[in-house]
Amino acid sequence: MKVGKYARSVSIVGVGCTPFTNFEDHPETKGMSEGDAFGYAALEAIADAGLEPRDIQYFYHGAANPFMIGDSLTPNMQVADWFGVRGIGSVHHSEACCTGYVAMQEAAMAIASGEFDIVLSGAVDLAASLPVVGAPGHMRRDFPLEEMLPSIPMVYDRAYGRPLDSAFGISFDNWINEYRWTYGLSADDIDRALNAIAKSMRRASVLNPRGFYDVDFDQIAQANGMPDADAFLTSMMNPKVTQYLRVTGFETKCDGAAAIVMMPTEMAVARGLDHKVIDLLGTGSAAYEGATLANEKTGTIRGTKQCYELTGVSPDEIDLLFINDFFMAGDIVVPEEVGYVPRGEAWQYAIDGRFAFDGDKPINTHGGRCNFGHAHGASGIADIVEAVWQMRGEAGATQMKKLPKTTMFRGFGGGQNIRVQLIRTHE
Amino acid sequence: MPLLKDMEPIVKKFYDGVAEGKYYGRKCKECGAIEFPPHLACNTCGYHETEWVELSGHGTLKSFVVPGIQNDKPYLKAIAPYGYGAVELDEGPIYSFVVFAGKKKIVKGLQQRLADGEVIGVHAKPIDREVPLKPGEPEMVHFSELCFELDEVAE
Ligand SMILES: [Zn+2]
Repeated sequence: MKVGKYARSVSIVGVGCTPFTNFEDHPETKGMSEGDAFGYAALEAIADAGLEPRDIQYFYHGAANPFMIGDSLTPNMQVADWFGVRGIGSVHHSEACCTGYVAMQEAAMAIASGEFDIVLSGAVDLAASLPVVGAPGHMRRDFPLEEMLPSIPMVYDRAYGRPLDSAFGISFDNWINEYRWTYGLSADDIDRALNAIAKSMRRASVLNPRGFYDVDFDQIAQANGMPDADAFLTSMMNPKVTQYLRVTGFETKCDGAAAIVMMPTEMAVARGLDHKVIDLLGTGSAAYEGATLANEKTGTIRGTKQCYELTGVSPDEIDLLFINDFFMAGDIVVPEEVGYVPRGEAWQYAIDGRFAFDGDKPINTHGGRCNFGHAHGASGIADIVEAVWQMRGEAGATQMKKLPKTTMFRGFGGGQNIRVQLIRTHE
Repeated sequence: MPLLKDMEPIVKKFYDGVAEGKYYGRKCKECGAIEFPPHLACNTCGYHETEWVELSGHGTLKSFVVPGIQNDKPYLKAIAPYGYGAVELDEGPIYSFVVFAGKKKIVKGLQQRLADGEVIGVHAKPIDREVPLKPGEPEMVHFSELCFELDEVAE
């Protein structure tokens, strides 16, 4: 299938993002409701674009699970007033962990169609806590695993994938397992590669003021009387919970919101922003339910092919890659599948630290889902925000050595949707 | 006149079939591919019309994943050592299922055998499931979950 080009080019002109943390644990964020958080990110993005809320013509609201963790069915209605756009049209969408990438695609389509010029696309999930039902929005309670676990399979098909109990069980390991046997690797090779990625990603999160973690694995090891990070990562304190993935290979659930403002490229250039204009080159889309054959791989191949064909960009032009890694195996298999690193070598790249923000093939420069934190629906937009900061040279302590010009996103989530997107600094 | 034109509850017939040891798919009237588990239209070629076909319930294992505590299910473990695998039915369709392997030792060696190119036969092994009609209440609803089992277990 061939995807058409946008009827007019669309650019990112403003970005905003809250800290990704457990809001209830920090005095500065304690009591932050969905409206506060969405509003904070939205206003930061609007200010970044040099606009006022009155300039926004339409907005998208994303959240992975508003019914359960937001106690609401119509969340777009409920955040509009928070950032001064009462009365404008809006829509809510929900593609679980893929929400944030769909958010950018939908906003671009709304602008490219000519219906709107200035669109905000944001997402919020307070995923570290649960609402106190019936109480005001600032009142949250803890969110124990036993309350979260039953909701996870709800991303899979209620007719077959869930009752046949295959979709959830097979999803985490099937691609990395295929990878292992294709290249004749041992389970230990995969373990070393994943632990190395965990170290690279954690280092970025610690350095990022918005990231979830303040301590790296060496410090955790030391606090537990272990010699170094590897000792901790391979210890019983960090057990394997699937065949290949340890606890550190799964997401760090947290609270967060993020937003972007988009407008026609022509308008952005004419306005003369005080920072670079970033163009969305295109989006490849796919969706395969969890029990269909090798769904993450199949979807990534389909989305990537569409994206490359649509944009004419070749893999060697990519300077930075974001991978939705709420389970970390994607950080090994995806860089190869999209052509970012040679086939059969990603596991070694990982071990050599080359995927770190200061490596030569950076991925997830903020630390990714397992370390920057995963506020489910909002995380995709947080990736886009981080990429834009990197491309502008505004990423602070984790700024890449070489200023990236072209960034790819491999969005993934919701049982699973895939989006493969390319953005590029406008010249 | 029927209420539904060219449509019937597909998912119910599938589960009712499994309970009777019958495995129903839907065969595409244009390309001949089989939807299994069954759906209304064809996902192989995108044609709108399919028709019922009864399948053998036999196939081969295409991939296999060993569960850990994150993706382990106590009710499955209580039956026999198992994993999750893509199964290609003899009639062609591929889908993921729970696959029982008979012995723990067999589970551990399956990935190596698949990597070596061995053809590993599997057959349908439905199991009874029950879930509460309402959370926390005693009344149960029952259905047959279609799982598979290695042929070598039965031999
Ligand atoms: Zn067909």
